[in-house]
This record gives sequence, structure tokens and C-alpha cells, in this order.
Amino acid sequence: MIVAFVFLASMTLTCALGVVLSRNVVHSALFMSGSFLAIAGFFVMLNAPALAAFQVLIYVGAVTVVILFGIMFTQRPQVRRFRTIINRQTWSGLVATLGIGAFLAYVLSIQDWAGTSPGNGPREVTRLGEILLGVNGAPPIFGLLFEVISVLLLVAVIAAIVVSRRKTGEGIDRGVEE
Amino acid sequence: MPPQAQQFLDTLNSTIPLEAYLIVGAIMFAIGAWGALIRRNAVVVFMCIELMINAVNLSLVAFADYLPNAGGAGVGYAVLVIAVAAAEVAVGLAIALAVYRTRKTVNVDEINLMKG
Repeated sequence: MIVAFVFLASMTLTCALGVVLSRNVVHSALFMSGSFLAIAGFFVMLNAPALAAFQVLIYVGAVTVVILFGIMFTQRPQVRRFRTIINRQTWSGLVATLGIGAFLAYVLSIQDWAGTSPGNGPREVTRLGEILLGVNGAPPIFGLLFEVISVLLLVAVIAAIVVSRRKTGEGIDRGVEE
Repeated sequence: MPPQAQQFLDTLNSTIPLEAYLIVGAIMFAIGAWGALIRRNAVVVFMCIELMINAVNLSLVAFADYLPNAGGAGVGYAVLVIAVAAAEVAVGLAIALAVYRTRKTVNVDEINLMKG
């Protein structure tokens, strides 16, 4: 358990740092998929194998491919120097981030978690399905949330088509303003 | 087997406390926030937001597995969060594509049209 945890934690955090610090945008996307894969390993350790499968299918598969398509459509030739990928707020951003991390670590560590033990999660897929639909003792609000999420996905698909559609007379032949 | 080796094996097989998962999630959230603050490329900012969402997902699933009275609700919330994140990345990249088509850049320092 300890060995798997240390391996997954180091993989997660190393890949997260790689996303932030790598010069090449494609490398950032691949580091991001590595980080998501390690999170899927954590889900297996936490008795949620169905959620780990969702994570691999949706994040490591779909989201990474969509982001790679976005990179393919929006990037010019890459920069060489490290200074040009980050803006002027490097050190103030680092200070703000350390503040966030210290605050979260403090809040999480003042609580006494001694009475908790693993193994309470919904290991069976049938139990996960019951939770998602809000039946058999699960909070009934999940039924409403499930429907809202369905409508949200439909709206997001239509919005993505509408926003990124190329209108006539716009686009390739029009130069940059300013 | 000497007792030290047995003790070492017991240490390796012991259960991991809840704080460990929460600390990993907190550090990952902080790294994602740092990237979202300092990077110039809008697509990389999206990636860092996905990192933050995944850190919160990890905390939710850890709570669902460790807290006895949670009833596994955190896993259901994690599924909902994954769906919202997928919708967010679809709409966000469509916006990045539309901005690139009109401005020929996705540099968040140069896209300041709302300043007038």
C-alpha cells in the first residue's frame, strides 16, 4: 500500500509540475494525461474501480485528445526561451499559491481524522448506480443532479458548436486588428 | 525472519491515513492554481484548471471511502464533477478557437478587449 501510494503521489505531483513548467505545450498536455492516469490509480486504491475506468476513458482519453486538437488549431511555432511562456506575475503568483497550499494543509490537519478507516466506499457498480440515481438510501438530491447534468451536457455540446462555427466572411482572409 | 524485517513488512502493509490523500490533493490543487496564475497560453490555463478539478475529485473520493457516515456519496459527486469538467473543456476550447480566429493569438496577456 505504501509503495503504491508513494509511486502514485510522486507521479501525480511530478506530472503536475511538468504541466506548469514545460516549455512545449504538447509536452504539457502529455504530462497532464500522466497526472490523470495516476489519479485513476488513486481511485483504484480508494475502492472506486468504476470511477477509475471513467477517469481513464474521459480524462486520459477524451479530454486529452480534445486539448491536443485545441493545441493543433491555436498554436504558432513554439517559443525557445522559458521567460516568454510565463507572465510577469511569477513570484506574486507563487506567493499566492503557497498561501493557498498552506491554508488547505492547515485546515486539513487541525481536524482529527483518527476515527476513520478505509473500506466504506461503494465498491460495487450497482451501488454506484443507485447513488447516482438517488435511490435505496442515497441522498435523493442525486436524482435531480443527474437530470441537470444531462441537460448541461446537451447545452455544452450545442454551445461548443455555435461558438466555434466559422461564419461567412470571417476568419481566414481577415487580418488581425490593431 | 528477523523481527526488524517483519516490522518493516508490517509498516509497508499498513493502511494509509486519510490525511495523506488530502495532502496530495491540496498540493496538486496549489500547483494547478500556480499554473493558472502564471502561464500565458490560454490552453495551458485550461489544463491547469483540469488539474485543480482532479485534485478536488481525489479529495471527494478519499472522503467517500474513509468517512463511515458518508455512504459513498462522494463518488457520485465525483462523477457529476467529471461531467461538468468535460462540458467546461468543450466550451472553453471552443471559445479559445473563436478568439484565435479573430485575434490570431491565445495569449491571455494580449486578450484584454473588455478593458476597452
